[in-house]
Amino acid sequence: MIPLSWYLALSAVLFSIGVVGVLVQRNVIALFMCIELMLNAVNLTFVAFSRFLDQTTGQLFVFIVMAVAAAEAAVGLAIIISLFRNRETLNVDEADLLKL
Amino acid sequence: MRTFYQNPETIIVNALLLFQQAASTALPGPDSATPPVFSYLPIALFLIVAAAFPGVALLVLRAVRPQVYGPQKMMPYECGLDPIRDARERFSVRFYIIAMLFLIFDVETVFLLPWAIAFDRLALFGLIEMIIFVGILVVGYYYAWRKGALNWV
Amino acid sequence: MEFADLNISYSAIAPEIITSLTGVAIMLIDAFSKQGARRTNALVAIIGFGLTLAALAGLWTGTWTPFGGDYFSGMVVVDHMRLIFSFIIVIVGILAVLLAGQFLKDEELPAGEFFSLVMFASAGMLMMASAGDLVMVFLGLETTSIATYILAGYRKYDVRANESSLKYFLLGSFATAFLLYGIALVYGATGTTNIVGIQKAIASGAINYPPLLLIGAAMMLVGFGFKIASAPFHLWTPDVYEGAPTLVTAFMATGPKAAVFAAFLRVFAVGFSSPTTGVGETLQETWVSVLAVIAVLTMTIGNVVALTQKNIKRMLAYSSIAHAGYALVGFVTGDFGPVAFYLLAYAVMNIGAFAVIQMLARPGDRKTEISDYAGVGFETPLLSFSLAIFLLSLAGIPPTGGFIAKFFVFRSAWESTPGLRWLVIVAVINSIISIYYYLYPIIVMFFRPLPAGFSKPKVGAGVTAVLVLTLAGVFFLGLMPDRVLGALNQGRGAARVAIQEAFR
Repeated sequence: MIPLSWYLALSAVLFSIGVVGVLVQRNVIALFMCIELMLNAVNLTFVAFSRFLDQTTGQLFVFIVMAVAAAEAAVGLAIIISLFRNRETLNVDEADLLKL
Repeated sequence: MRTFYQNPETIIVNALLLFQQAASTALPGPDSATPPVFSYLPIALFLIVAAAFPGVALLVLRAVRPQVYGPQKMMPYECGLDPIRDARERFSVRFYIIAMLFLIFDVETVFLLPWAIAFDRLALFGLIEMIIFVGILVVGYYYAWRKGALNWV
Repeated sequence: MEFADLNISYSAIAPEIITSLTGVAIMLIDAFSKQGARRTNALVAIIGFGLTLAALAGLWTGTWTPFGGDYFSGMVVVDHMRLIFSFIIVIVGILAVLLAGQFLKDEELPAGEFFSLVMFASAGMLMMASAGDLVMVFLGLETTSIATYILAGYRKYDVRANESSLKYFLLGSFATAFLLYGIALVYGATGTTNIVGIQKAIASGAINYPPLLLIGAAMMLVGFGFKIASAPFHLWTPDVYEGAPTLVTAFMATGPKAAVFAAFLRVFAVGFSSPTTGVGETLQETWVSVLAVIAVLTMTIGNVVALTQKNIKRMLAYSSIAHAGYALVGFVTGDFGPVAFYLLAYAVMNIGAFAVIQMLARPGDRKTEISDYAGVGFETPLLSFSLAIFLLSLAGIPPTGGFIAKFFVFRSAWESTPGLRWLVIVAVINSIISIYYYLYPIIVMFFRPLPAGFSKPKVGAGVTAVLVLTLAGVFFLGLMPDRVLGALNQGRGAARVAIQEAFR
């Protein structure tokens, strides 16, 4: 059997890729995909722990995370579309009307 | 070599036989200490051959075939008609709205599956809860419908 | 687990059910009616909140549901802390609905979605306040956040609102992912997502791999820190608060913040506070000291940056960051009382201030610079005197609610944790600094000449009601806080923890 630590390491790597992606990407859609990657890395952690602890709690959590992520994706796409209609850009650096 | 040209499919049959041998030797018994990953070996071999076969065929044909390029030939094939304009155009926002609705209703199915598995133990309570859940989805669907999200203008 | 162990009690979640159903009902009314039915929807929303208040009062008296229990196999708890935070959330919801009528009418925005989103956001907030399990915390947080992402961009043809919404969405989801990863690691370390279960697991020392617990708690702290806009996770706040419609800013700065504080308190002050074992003690000492540092940073950055702001919404955004810092000072006492009182007072005075700003800014939020306020003082006395009172209350000047709230927080922090008295001193210095930027708009309003072409804004019935209610609230909390404090003291012990021991 593959040890738990491998799964945890994989999900930590995926989560970190997501974090770095959010920090360096400039396209809104790519940013958004990185956030989804982070959520899915967490799902992997939940499933791995759920198997390791021999419980279903973790898998239940994954269901809820998936449903919520879908709702978030729908809302996020709607927001991105409305920004694109008004600004004609998907670059986050150009969303700069409000500044410090 | 002669058989190869006459009978191209024999190579596939031979390859399959080879996999079967590899599988029977590599496949461990249930009590074996071999990691379960090795039982995927035949699939991996098959994947390699499946990817290599068209690749090799294309390379060989590229060397053999005559190469003639003309404007007519370079034109994208679009149901036999001449293409009218560039394919990279903006899509109607309707596609996004339909996609969003699909996303929501598709993923909500995830809650129906565990209910279906524990259906007998949850009994009437589970059924009523699920009817309420689906009822909420129906309200959302009706709302989207009334608001014209499903109309194609 | 058997079916009977679930401990199902619908009266325990009656407030959440009523708010959600009202939201669905408003959606249906909106779908059926052709004209938008703004008045009907507002009325239904108010009735829904009224019924929610009744349900909360019923839970408070304990007639339907025994107090102090947990239901749905530990998902939902019924205790004083939950109910007090739920009351704050419902008050914020009612004030937002009252303000919304004029906003939607003036700007000709669709009404149905607005009210149902407010209802759904409130349902999410109530879920956060009642959460006894990390699943509920996550679900409530996301329900609230998704609804507020849309509310922030409600003016969909305004580029500033689009930007505000996009920033809120991206950073909010980013923070949620951190919180979720923290939850996953804590679940792996303790083997449960129930908050009391986590406390028991830590107390018994049955932790699978202690570093997992510590990393998980740290990531949850980051996630919650983002959501309550504490420094150094506050950078989204000014942009989002400035770009969102004023009414939505008022809503976001008060309701979700109170709800996240409730969940934050429940997770940290209940779940992560059993200093009996080695790892439990390390965890608790670490989070209390980290929160103390975050509180100092939050107060100082909020107040100092607010000094330089030219836009009143941006100034109040930084002020909101600073107020989160004051509430965090109450947080480190481990008692929910000061935090709840502070957030109640903050909600009342902040919504009042934003109501005036919404009126003076006119439709489309065109006049939100402080210089736009020159000389309006004696032209629109109701609005300007109300704004002055709210700003003085935010600054913490007696006899307003803001003063009592600060006093209560600082006193309980001073008395309960001698190790953290320096924090109270920093907080007092900060509130002295803050007086400058709260007084500046008042001076501009009353002592600068009025530019030509000033037209009085029309104040509708809803906004007048909000102003009357919030003014009454500010003075009620300032002059007669005994009743509220009595209710808070009644609930002491529900979330009281032994942090004091750790710092004696």
